[in-house]
Amino acid sequence: MKTVRFITVMVLLSLLVLPVFANGQTEKTEAKVEEKVMTHDELVEAAKAEGTLTVYTYSSRTTKIGDAFTALYGIPVEVTQLKDTEMIEKVSKEAAANLDAADVVFCQDGSRVIPELVYTGYVTRFVPENVEGHIVDAEFEDPLVFEAMPKVFIYNNEDGGDQKLTNIWQLTEPEWSGALQFKDPFSEAVNMNFFTMITREDWAEKIAEAYKSYYGKDIQLTTKNAGYEWIKAIYNNGCVLGKSDTTIGENVGAKGQHRDIAGLFTLNKMRNAKSKDLALAPAYGMEPFSGFMYPAYVFVASNAKAPNAAKLFIEFAFTEEGWKPFNLLGDYSPVDYLSDNAEDDLTIVDWKNQLVWEDPAWCAENRAEVEEFISSIV
Amino acid sequence: MIKKQLYRFYKFIKKPYNIILSVLLIVLGYLTLFPMLTMIKDTFTVHVSESMRLKQAAGSWTLNHWFKVLFDPSSLSVFYKPFLNSLITSLGACLVALLFGGVFSWLITRTNIRWKKVLSSLFIFPYIMPSWTIALAWYNVFKNSVVGGVPGTFQALTGIEPPNWFAYGAFPIALVTGLHYAPFAYIMIGGVLRNMDANLEEAAMMLKTSRNRIVRKITIPMILPAILSTFLLVFSSAMSSFAVPQFLGLPVRYQVLTTQLYRTLNGINPGQGYCIAMIMILLSVGILAFNQRMVGTRKNYTTVTGKSSNISLINLKKARNVISVIAVVLILMVSILPLVSFALESVILKPGDYSPSNFTLQFWIGSAEENSIANNEAGLLLNPNLWKALWNSIKLSIVCALTAGTLGFLAGYGIVRGRGTKLAKIVDNLAFFPYLMPSMAFSVIYLSMFSTRRGPIPALYGSFFLLVLIGTVKYMPFASRSGINSMLQLSNQIEEAGEIIGVSWPKRMARLVIPIQKSSFISGYLLPFISCMRELSLFVLLVTPQNRVLTTLLFQYNEKGWSQYSNGINLMIVIIVLLVNFGVNKATGASIDKGIGG
Repeated sequence: MKTVRFITVMVLLSLLVLPVFANGQTEKTEAKVEEKVMTHDELVEAAKAEGTLTVYTYSSRTTKIGDAFTALYGIPVEVTQLKDTEMIEKVSKEAAANLDAADVVFCQDGSRVIPELVYTGYVTRFVPENVEGHIVDAEFEDPLVFEAMPKVFIYNNEDGGDQKLTNIWQLTEPEWSGALQFKDPFSEAVNMNFFTMITREDWAEKIAEAYKSYYGKDIQLTTKNAGYEWIKAIYNNGCVLGKSDTTIGENVGAKGQHRDIAGLFTLNKMRNAKSKDLALAPAYGMEPFSGFMYPAYVFVASNAKAPNAAKLFIEFAFTEEGWKPFNLLGDYSPVDYLSDNAEDDLTIVDWKNQLVWEDPAWCAENRAEVEEFISSIV
Repeated sequence: MIKKQLYRFYKFIKKPYNIILSVLLIVLGYLTLFPMLTMIKDTFTVHVSESMRLKQAAGSWTLNHWFKVLFDPSSLSVFYKPFLNSLITSLGACLVALLFGGVFSWLITRTNIRWKKVLSSLFIFPYIMPSWTIALAWYNVFKNSVVGGVPGTFQALTGIEPPNWFAYGAFPIALVTGLHYAPFAYIMIGGVLRNMDANLEEAAMMLKTSRNRIVRKITIPMILPAILSTFLLVFSSAMSSFAVPQFLGLPVRYQVLTTQLYRTLNGINPGQGYCIAMIMILLSVGILAFNQRMVGTRKNYTTVTGKSSNISLINLKKARNVISVIAVVLILMVSILPLVSFALESVILKPGDYSPSNFTLQFWIGSAEENSIANNEAGLLLNPNLWKALWNSIKLSIVCALTAGTLGFLAGYGIVRGRGTKLAKIVDNLAFFPYLMPSMAFSVIYLSMFSTRRGPIPALYGSFFLLVLIGTVKYMPFASRSGINSMLQLSNQIEEAGEIIGVSWPKRMARLVIPIQKSSFISGYLLPFISCMRELSLFVLLVTPQNRVLTTLLFQYNEKGWSQYSNGINLMIVIIVLLVNFGVNKATGASIDKGIGG
């Protein structure tokens, strides 16, 4: 009897609450970004009528672009910094529910951005007028790259002498055992994209060639190709996974260690090397690469409530004033008129030539396999 | 027949606890079961990020995730090894927490140890601080040349290099997690020890039972529910703790389930991540069931009877001073040292250099122009972003604490009074579920649940209310556990006495139940408050720029490696929580440590 009553109550209750479990009302997301080409003045006028602009970004420095933008045009800007995964989840959920949330999206990790935000139509590529025809390399065009950042093999050079690293296969040797550090690729998507890139045939071949040039013999494969082989070799040589590039930079560069130690981390950590008293030097021109370079993209959100202000903001981000917060060692603009880096003699093209460039399409299709491969080495 | 049914129904709703339980069933059912079901579904569907590789449309059915987690050759490193590691570290943490917290609560409630008041308030510090702070301290002291950099303090002082097993991996993870959760044990076991009916022990003493036997046959059985509850909370907390294993396990690639979960949720295999999360939930549900069986079979745990509770303290005699000093030193090491290090790290320019010339206050009071090292970010106290976030954090934590604490206490009341009924059992489980859900997954699901209008529920996304809602549901388990514990001790007789002379239910609660159990009641508010103040992953997806909280700012600074700022904010969070704890203590006489022995 008790059970019967209980079940009756339960059934009645569930009938009452059923509607809240139903699918929410889904309205079709419509691309509000208009195709009509406006002059700069028209754009400014339209943008000013739209109110506050919301920007999602991977970098805290975007706030500075926002401040300068507000000072110039009087349009208030709200900047939110998000981690890669949160960015994807937030943008796609908001877009799917057709909420007025982000207007401009600065993001990295092409392997997820392309399938999850671009193919789904949640964000739209927009190339401002001032950028058209000024992009230095076709690979920076679609999706539009806002900036490129190198992560380079950087070693401790306190003891002086010649550049210690010249070939990536050195890192698999006993003298470099436990001496290579990088951020766990499972918590840093772009690192995983790098490992995914080097399993592509063209890079795998170059890695095999580098093997031959270092050991004087052909590589014996135990895995699919030389790319996988190298990944396995550095993991088995006791590479140390770090929590952040900042601490890795400090661990590698601390003076008084007097041993071989290197890291694969973002070049911008060289910026404070002097003030932090670190002995760090990038390994230029290694065989077959000195590290990798990854892009950060900029998009207009498809359901932007301030689409014109968004366009104006992107245009501004590609001006000298907008770029100022990024004009530092380790950040490189893809447009020719901003290519003169204030703190580095090398240009974006110089770097790209010695680094592995992230191809989002390849990464999107093959990263899962590489993730599984790396999980299984442990 | 209908009349009989009606009468049953009348009898059912006449008991206040039945109404409480029914309302909670509906609300919690929706707020916890729906996310659960969504998660289960996610383990069987193709996620957008993998649709390109699997060549299947997103949302179509697949068994691939479960297969990869459980039956693939890679399962060993994806699931089984991390699973074993999780078990080892969590059990280790329970042992540490129960021993450390248990012994301490016994020393303070039952012996004449010195400086009780100070020890008692210092003991809860490790819980107030984010769990990784002790991990950070451990790392700084015992790190060896594996990670490079400047040598750890221990090696610098002694010249001995700590071995890997001591510096990283299972041993320090279990120890640090255990220390962090020891206050749980202290609060729960201490509360019972203090409120326990001393008659039982006195009776045994009069019969010349030996001290040992009293402890074994009376004290321990009496505190068993508290021990089990502590075990349950610590075990589940340790299983789901992420920061400590990530910190101390990564250098030697020691993976546990949470780090594996984080890797998969952050990578492009969220389906596998949800599988792992489901297994973690199942495991905890198993422990929960075990806990209920134990409490269920030994029903009489009533310790507060309203009769005398004159506890005779054990005289430590000669050992008194020695034990007191050891206790103080231990407590200072885990409670004060990390605070000092936060303060220190927030005022030095170059990390690792503690010479006077390296000290600066620029990260606290410097103007934007001065701070070139941190991209011209204004010092903390001059930073408008910080003040706004600080206010939001405090507002959110107070509201969450009030709702979670009240609901949790009512849940505890209803569950204990309705003990034995199916309804009570179900609500008990529902109220505990959110604790087992990974914060990250929980907030992802809430984001999609509340971004659109569903039936009578409007789209809540972007509102402060949604943050309150998720905080309340997520932290209610603390309050409901402490509610259940305290209600279990409270003899029914007391309330019945009131009932007989016709005192109404609200009055019985306000005049009898709550005053007697005031300390547990208040701690039911303080735990959600503290957790809320230092929560990040739960809120980060749901905040909009208008309601940004302090920890999102902390994350930004941390991510950029501006350790001075992040250490400064950490210090602020701890100080605020301490001030609140102190304020509540002064105002109500209760505090999270219940002023045991004070």
